[in-house]
Amino acid sequence: METTRAGASLKSAGEQAAAALAAMPRRPEVIRCPICKRQCLSFEELSEHYAAEHPDSVAPTAVTLNVNGLNCSLIIEPHLTLKQVLQLHLGLTGAKEMCDRGACGSCTVIMDGNPALSCNILASECEGRSIETIEMVAVMPKWRPLIDEYCKWDAMQCGYCTPGYLMAAKALLDRNPSPTEYEIREALSGNICICGTQPRHSQAILEAVSRMAKGETINA
Amino acid sequence: MRPFNHINAASIAEAGEALKKGGAVAVAGGGDLLGALKDNIFPEYPRTVVNLKSIPGLNYIKFEDGALKLGALTTLADIARSPIVGEHAPALAAAAKSASSPALRETTTIGGNLCQLPRCWYFRKLNNRFDCARKGGERCFALTGDNRYHSVFGGAGFEAPGGQRACVAVNQGELAPVLIAMAARLKTTTREIEAFNFFDVGVLSSTVLEAGELLTEIEIPPLGFAETCRYRRFAFRKSIDFPIINLSIARGGENPNSPGKPRWHICIGGVAPTPHIAKAAEELLNVNAPSAADLTPELAQAAGVAATEGARAFESNAYKLQLIKTLIKRELLAMSAPPAD
Repeated sequence: METTRAGASLKSAGEQAAAALAAMPRRPEVIRCPICKRQCLSFEELSEHYAAEHPDSVAPTAVTLNVNGLNCSLIIEPHLTLKQVLQLHLGLTGAKEMCDRGACGSCTVIMDGNPALSCNILASECEGRSIETIEMVAVMPKWRPLIDEYCKWDAMQCGYCTPGYLMAAKALLDRNPSPTEYEIREALSGNICICGTQPRHSQAILEAVSRMAKGETINA
Repeated sequence: MRPFNHINAASIAEAGEALKKGGAVAVAGGGDLLGALKDNIFPEYPRTVVNLKSIPGLNYIKFEDGALKLGALTTLADIARSPIVGEHAPALAAAAKSASSPALRETTTIGGNLCQLPRCWYFRKLNNRFDCARKGGERCFALTGDNRYHSVFGGAGFEAPGGQRACVAVNQGELAPVLIAMAARLKTTTREIEAFNFFDVGVLSSTVLEAGELLTEIEIPPLGFAETCRYRRFAFRKSIDFPIINLSIARGGENPNSPGKPRWHICIGGVAPTPHIAKAAEELLNVNAPSAADLTPELAQAAGVAATEGARAFESNAYKLQLIKTLIKRELLAMSAPPAD
């Protein structure tokens, strides 16, 4: 961990991601009615409480998501998107919300091995699906070359779209470990970078591919 | 999004029952509906969203008895990379691959692509700002407003509460022209419809589906259209964009003008409220080009002009007429050229 000149600790992205993953709640600590704040002992009790006290309101649902290999039982409102649940319920802020309409790719996660736009998926429809987020990529030594090359080739400026790009790149490399430049551009064609770094992405990924092919995993 | 009840339907019957009750909408891939809910474009916000993805047995691609059959919940990405579709209907795979973006194709479905609502900016304006005809309102704002992406074949009239209305928003679906050109048949829970009869304009509807009726299967019969079908789209961006115009040309079946030869099908999307079948151009080609080798540049040009027969551009979409002519000519010339190998 580095420190700034003022003495504050400066966590690397990997350390931040590891902390976020460790802090991910596996089940709700306290079940409270979102309307009247009454504490309930179980989801069933909450459902009964809703039917009795708030019959006109939309009752929360229980869903178990497999996020980054961990099963997380959640009680959520049915209209929340996967992006909102990752951020608000699980504390994973890596997937970013930009357009919120499925048109920019900043919120890309990997669902069952395929890239998916978490802003355009209802979390209540994800029961039993396996979801990988950028935090997983940040802590896995295997993907260090990808992140290093992104930094080295300056394939980001403000960095807001970068998690989405990295997830799209990971989904491609999982399926095809040695893509051509055309395949990379095709796989990243659903992501938008307003800073205009697009030409650098395929360069960074190609370099990362050659480093990963040599079995290099640790930042040199 | 505002709160709504959510049902993960376990069967077609359950989904149908839930949708027959008022205030319910169906969601499959969510590519169309979730954006509409976030923008709050509906006059009445739905009380219930019925998830169709949880219905088992509607996601398949199979080749049976010479016909290609696709379940309505098959994702566009599965269609684009399916070897079965690639072999028997390459134009369908190409059309599926050009829709939206790679990540969105993994979740959006063929059924949703066919049933999606129009992208007209008055219809889609945030918080239902324009009470337009397509929502049951009194007038179509695109007629006098900015209509650069709207119909060049006039508006579609339809019955709405309070009288007859017209809407000039186009059907911009990526797969509709291909399926119509391939003479596909669409199966719903209650009937079987020819693809070209499936599309219709109504209040908050782009299809002939009734409340509680669900699209279940898309079948492409073995008439030869699927093998010869070609797809071409024009859009400002290659990815994450709806086509301004997309068209599909296929040959198959029986030519009424020269027995023993296949007939032509030409379907254009993005130019009319429903996918537009270019009857005059089909007729011209049926008479003058029984085989693809008969296509001359002059004939291809004439077919392009014939495809715009009956078209009337509004203030700012006359460019679409030239697009129709050019794209049809190019596509026909590509068909007449011997395959480069």
